Amino acid sequence: MFFHIVLERNMQLHPRYFGRNLRENLVSKLMKDVEGTCSGRHGFVVAVTGIENIGKGLIRDGTGFVTFPVKYQCVVFRPFKGEILEAVVTMVNKMGFFAEAGPVQIFVSNHLIPDDMEFQSGDMPNYTTSDGSVKIQKDSEVRLKIIGTRVDATEIFCIGTIKDDFLGVINDPATV
Amino acid sequence: MSHRGMDDDDDEYEEEEEQVADFDEEPEEEEEDDDRRGRGGSGGRGGRKRRRSGFIDDDAEEVDEDEDDDDDEDFDGRGGARRRQYKKVSASNFFDEEAVVDSDEEEEEEEGEDDFIVEGGADLPEEDDGRRMRNSRMLPHHQEDHEDLEAVARSIQERYGRRLAEYDEETTDVEQQALLPSVRDPKLWMVKCAIGRERETAVCLMQKYIDRGSELQIRSVIALDHLKNYIYVEADKEAHVREACKNLRNIFGQKITLVPIREMTDVLSVESKAIDLARDTWVRMKIGTYKGDLAKVVDVDNVRQRVTVKLIPRIDLQALANKLEGREVVKKKAFVPPPRFMNVDEARELHIRVEHRRDAYGERFDAIGGMMFKDGFLYKTVSIKSISAQNIKPTFDELEKFRKPGESGDGDVASLSTLFANRKKGHFMKGDAVIVVKGDLKNLKGKVEKVDEDNVHIRPEMEGLPKTIAVNEKELCKYFEPGNHVKVVSGAQEGATGMVVKVEQHVLILISDTTKEHIRVFADDVVESSEVTTGVTRIGDYELRDLVLLDNMSFGVIIRVESEAFQVLKGIPDRPEAVLVKLREIKCKIEKKISVQDRFKNTVSSKDVVRIIDGPCKGKQGPVEHIYRGILFIFDRHHLEHAGFICAKAQSCVVVGGSRSNGDRNGNAYSRFASLRNSSCIPPSPRRFSRGGPNDSGGRHRGRGGRGDGLAGTTVKVRQGPYKGYRGRVIEDKGSSVRVELESQMKVVTVDRNHISDNVAVTPHRDTSRYGMGSETPMHPSRTPLHPYMTPMRDPGATPIHDGMRTPMRDRAWNPYTPMSPPRDNWEDGNPGSWGTSPQYQPGSPPSRPYEAPTPGAGWANTPSGNYSEAGTPRDNSAYANAPSPYLPSTPGGQPMTPSSASYLPGTPGGQPMTPGTGGMDMMSPVLGGDHEGPWFMPDILVNVHRAGDESIGVIREVLPDGSYKIGLGSSGNGETITALPNEMEAVVPRKSDKIKIMGGALRGATGKLIGVDGTDGIVKVDDTLDVKILDLVILAKLAQP
Repeated sequence: MFFHIVLERNMQLHPRYFGRNLRENLVSKLMKDVEGTCSGRHGFVVAVTGIENIGKGLIRDGTGFVTFPVKYQCVVFRPFKGEILEAVVTMVNKMGFFAEAGPVQIFVSNHLIPDDMEFQSGDMPNYTTSDGSVKIQKDSEVRLKIIGTRVDATEIFCIGTIKDDFLGVINDPATV
Repeated sequence: MSHRGMDDDDDEYEEEEEQVADFDEEPEEEEEDDDRRGRGGSGGRGGRKRRRSGFIDDDAEEVDEDEDDDDDEDFDGRGGARRRQYKKVSASNFFDEEAVVDSDEEEEEEEGEDDFIVEGGADLPEEDDGRRMRNSRMLPHHQEDHEDLEAVARSIQERYGRRLAEYDEETTDVEQQALLPSVRDPKLWMVKCAIGRERETAVCLMQKYIDRGSELQIRSVIALDHLKNYIYVEADKEAHVREACKNLRNIFGQKITLVPIREMTDVLSVESKAIDLARDTWVRMKIGTYKGDLAKVVDVDNVRQRVTVKLIPRIDLQALANKLEGREVVKKKAFVPPPRFMNVDEARELHIRVEHRRDAYGERFDAIGGMMFKDGFLYKTVSIKSISAQNIKPTFDELEKFRKPGESGDGDVASLSTLFANRKKGHFMKGDAVIVVKGDLKNLKGKVEKVDEDNVHIRPEMEGLPKTIAVNEKELCKYFEPGNHVKVVSGAQEGATGMVVKVEQHVLILISDTTKEHIRVFADDVVESSEVTTGVTRIGDYELRDLVLLDNMSFGVIIRVESEAFQVLKGIPDRPEAVLVKLREIKCKIEKKISVQDRFKNTVSSKDVVRIIDGPCKGKQGPVEHIYRGILFIFDRHHLEHAGFICAKAQSCVVVGGSRSNGDRNGNAYSRFASLRNSSCIPPSPRRFSRGGPNDSGGRHRGRGGRGDGLAGTTVKVRQGPYKGYRGRVIEDKGSSVRVELESQMKVVTVDRNHISDNVAVTPHRDTSRYGMGSETPMHPSRTPLHPYMTPMRDPGATPIHDGMRTPMRDRAWNPYTPMSPPRDNWEDGNPGSWGTSPQYQPGSPPSRPYEAPTPGAGWANTPSGNYSEAGTPRDNSAYANAPSPYLPSTPGGQPMTPSSASYLPGTPGGQPMTPGTGGMDMMSPVLGGDHEGPWFMPDILVNVHRAGDESIGVIREVLPDGSYKIGLGSSGNGETITALPNEMEAVVPRKSDKIKIMGGALRGATGKLIGVDGTDGIVKVDDTLDVKILDLVILAKLAQP
């Protein structure tokens, strides 16, 4: 789920950036620093959308670095248990398949794939129904439900299922 | 009884023997039955009997015992040939002649048992053995006495009839008490003997007794199977024991300990383990062909102590066919047929007769030669003793097999009972989610509220039920839901963590966090946990992800640690080959820190991110974990095989992102620095480079260190261990160990506190200069013509900062600004605009033009290098090369790629940039450094000049104002005089006891003698002051001989 929230961060800025562009530098550094990062609490920071407030900078003794408390608005993405997501399949193997929804990697175990879908190995490994009408392979788009998440310092890993109503392939590149 | 008629010695011994205490059995009957036996007879017999079964291996053939056999005891002896039988008979006296009659028929397999300690019950099958032996010996007599049979029968009747009756009576506590040894009874002495010779010693004593008779005043000897190194001797006085033990080779120590009266009973008491066998329990066979096999109990006959078990047959049909047809069967003892389900049709094909039978319950069986089969399983009735029911942990494979013919999950539930038996104490904890698996409340879920002894109070999830329900522990099972993150706490997968993807009754399927593979575990074996671990990650010295050298000189990375072996991804590029390797097949761990060159001759060292541009794994990228023989082991998080490891040739990879990893950044810094050092013109402070990365973090650490732990913040040098010679600053002081941020590697390692020396004189310098760095304003955008020099310098300094802060992930997936164009690169890629358009940096003035190229050049040296090489635009390179700057040769340093001198290779710990601040100062730009320090090289030192391919040694004669040097070739400088640029030469590294000149630092210009070398430091005796100084080798140059 996406959230638009305000976060705060202390930015350290090298003195060389001081000057009339200080603010721009600070913002660009902030964007560089936080976009794409992941925290367990908020999930992935997708984009910084604006600056709320930049506090007074504090010069650090010795280094000349200046610390600014920066409040910024950003869009974060955090997967939740039970959430329905649409994701792109990135890899298929006999244990299941991996899909990605933006920065989040989701694994769908073969136990969580409907029983009528069987693994077909080969050049393009895939899961196919017995009648061949539905096929999950690399680059397929699937709708899945997250049943578990594991949050590390730098990534969120999820386990999903497509063994439920209205879940499964939504757009198959092979058929388009 | 034979011995009765024997000489007195024997009898006396016999009598004494009977003192052995085993008070479980009734004594009265003996007194009546044989008044010469005295008290405690039965117990004594029990003791001796057991001893006997220990003495002699059960070689007896299958003999069905009947009561008549027992008669021998009474009557054989009276028959003739007493003398002839003397020996044997007297030996047999050690054994209980009156063992309870056991009419059990034993199966072949059961004979193997020779448990010394047996249940305290009266009718023990093992106890037959002694009698059996004797019986077979006595057989002739028995026949002689045939006519007495009637009498025998009567007497037996008399004896055992009564005895059996007595058995039924409950012995009271008081009676039992009366049997306990008192002070008047002989004592038990513990005697030390040779380990493993306990039985032998006891037999020796027995023999001695037989030979010496009454001289020995001991009463009995006991060797216990479970007690090594000791035997017990029963005697009245210690002296008697000593006497008896004299001259026995197995008894050396004269240490004889008295067993306290209270403990005497314990010596011989037998722990009776109540085997609680129930149907559907999993058991293991103890003996025979099926030894160790898992079996399932299908029927228990407690009366006859037999169980019927279901097994997967191990039958060699061919051999069976041969046997049944009476053909000769070649007995191959060693060969045990593999377990396989019995296929009746197959058997028929081999002309084995298969009959159909029904058992008592009307179940249909296929019978082949006395064996019963059903559904492919063998049904076998065995003695309870030949199976073990304790601590059975069936593996999944075994259970799977048992489930074979169309059995559903129900089979699994049955095994629960066994699983529960293995539960540890405190299995359930408050808050655990549980499910009831048995009884009326089956399938009720709840949370554990309280745990009593056996009962667990749960709060049921369902409404309308009482708040808490007490449920027996055995009816509960832990419960997990898909998505739970759990940790396996016991069993084969112990330690692994993962997420539950499926729950099949009490079996969970997890997806392991590390291997991304499925693991099947019992719900009982896991606990909910948020931590992420791999399970076992090391055996011996080898750990997961280590690079190891194998037996056959091949090498590979450990990608998985199994119980006894490692899975190793071999170092064969382009064809992933994983092999299972035993510990002993591993020769050693390879811990070399080397670097190689990628396709574009960029240096790759470990931790660099590379992309594979060739071969089957083309397109993959990730940090290099190991390098060996030109082969890289790359870890790609997205690669799911081989634990994410890919093996590729260095030649088919390119460094991505300008060696953003630490080692190489430093590498670059070094080599760059080296080049810069050579160039008198390019000013950047080496500190800059070296600190470039840590800049930010350095600041942070400092902050942390400032909080006042003793050592934190200081610069130390590691004296011992794998990081010996490295310098770094302490970021945390943890008592016995410290965490040190290595300067040369920008990684934080934990080092034993004893392994560091914290008196590195360098510290103050470094700090000062670091601060200096922050305030190096003059180098900043000045508008002097010199300004452009600065640019490349500050740039590289700056770039790595951001580099370091960037997560690799981000680079790959998120960086929308992925640097593509050089100009952008050089500047903050996050904000291309601000810098690119900043008027300050606009190369507006002609003089700065040429430097426009160097600028990216410098950047190229560091961060964006990968981009260049990636893009494969040689144009850029050449552009720099051609740039008409006089300083150019040195500038672009292009050098990062050129390992300018061995001592500057990235791997070298002594890393220049970190070293004495003073040295650094020297390397400052001419702007700063030039003012007070002058050029780097100095006259009179020996240098290697390499230009146009050839290399020659020379002596610097003069420093020319344009930054080049006049050099006299030859080791004494007498040869041809040439002019060389600094980057065409390098100082000759002095060796021990060479005369040197100090090229940097406070002592710059001074001469001295190198009296020792310690890693990267040289110990120098300065000529003028005769001081001994420790200086970095880099600032020392060999002095030319005058």
